[in-house]
Amino acid sequence: MSSLPTRQTTNDEINSRIASEINSDDDLICPCCKSIMHSRKPNSLNRTWALLITAMILYIPANVLPIMAVSFWGDGQPDTILSGVMQLLKAGLWPLALLIFVASIVIPVLKLIILILLLVSINTKAQWHPKDRTKLYRFTEFVGRWSMVDVFVIAILVTLVQFGNTASVSPDLGALSFAAVVILTMFAANSFDPRLIWDNLPEPELADESEQEDDSVIEMNGDRLVEK
Amino acid sequence: MKETGLPAIAFNRIACHDCDLLQTTPRLAVGEVAYCMRCDAVLFTNQKNSVDRSLAFAITGLLFYIIANMFPFLSLKALGFVQEGTLFSTSLSLFKAGMPLLGILLFLTTILFPLTTLLGTIYILMQVKRDKFNDYTAPVFRFLRSTDTWGMLEIFMLAVIVSLVKLGDYADVVFGISLYAFILLILSLTLMSHSLNPQDVWTRLRNNMADQP
Repeated sequence: MSSLPTRQTTNDEINSRIASEINSDDDLICPCCKSIMHSRKPNSLNRTWALLITAMILYIPANVLPIMAVSFWGDGQPDTILSGVMQLLKAGLWPLALLIFVASIVIPVLKLIILILLLVSINTKAQWHPKDRTKLYRFTEFVGRWSMVDVFVIAILVTLVQFGNTASVSPDLGALSFAAVVILTMFAANSFDPRLIWDNLPEPELADESEQEDDSVIEMNGDRLVEK
Repeated sequence: MKETGLPAIAFNRIACHDCDLLQTTPRLAVGEVAYCMRCDAVLFTNQKNSVDRSLAFAITGLLFYIIANMFPFLSLKALGFVQEGTLFSTSLSLFKAGMPLLGILLFLTTILFPLTTLLGTIYILMQVKRDKFNDYTAPVFRFLRSTDTWGMLEIFMLAVIVSLVKLGDYADVVFGISLYAFILLILSLTLMSHSLNPQDVWTRLRNNMADQP
């Protein structure tokens, strides 16, 4: 996709051509896909903070309130996320306990922490390890959706375990809050713009080389190619 | 709002989607992957027969999708009763249990988005194959790229396995036909997204636009 060349661009020709268009107040439309172009995701920091703070608030009811109620012979017992993990442990199903623990507790917390760190690092204009921060971002983006596994398990149990008074499972508010946390952090990761990490850095040396003959750049690119 | 022309640089430069470094588009041999020089993001790949293969997997996936939605994936036998679970009844049961929002979420992630991904990919790739594009191609493809993470069938599959182990002690669990169709559907979807190279679609689209101004 033709994205808008930004300050990394040193090619004068492109710069002057684009600059005149940027300076107009109109939104730029991508000639190829007809969507509005942004050099950075609009309002990235504010949106990400807002979504993250909402997720953090909802994280409390997600863990305190029961996610589902299991009842045998009318004997109801509410389960929270943590008590569900404990039950699996007691039943000796430790691989399953570990899976749920990682998916429902470790990943959401890790995601919140990483995104907050990234946001703070940008707000303080940190220059610390930009490559590693970008990798952390890609990790949160990739791993976040797997937290949904617990919500899906609840849905399947609610569907299958419906034997009237004998045995039934019903979802509870904790499940709703937890699903909201997962979705909000997914949206937060989505609205965060990793390019901001690189904007705080001094002009990269690589950009100078792109001024040279195109052939040499291709060669340099070729060195970076890794076979799969 | 105004449209910019298609700049010539669109054809030989690529901006990293993660760090925005503008670099010359490398020419890749089959099977190679281009990484960003600065942040190691995957820029694009050159898969063998990318379009044909992804189209084949998308059509295969669509067939399995239909089967997976027609039959129950699990049923539970206890006390002489049988309780069946299909994909749709899973979403519906959350509605009935007073959690409509969760029901909608489940419907979107396990039914709607996988379907739009399959249908949309077939629609786009058919156009790429015939090299004929219309006004909807680009927006549809953008929509597909942005909803890619919201189809969560593989996570649902993991949840099925977890529930299987959890319920195994209390009742007889019977595997349905759908469960097998499901596994094959997830396989097709994974192979499809692995062999699909978005860059190919965009390049064809741009070349097509440049030919017919």
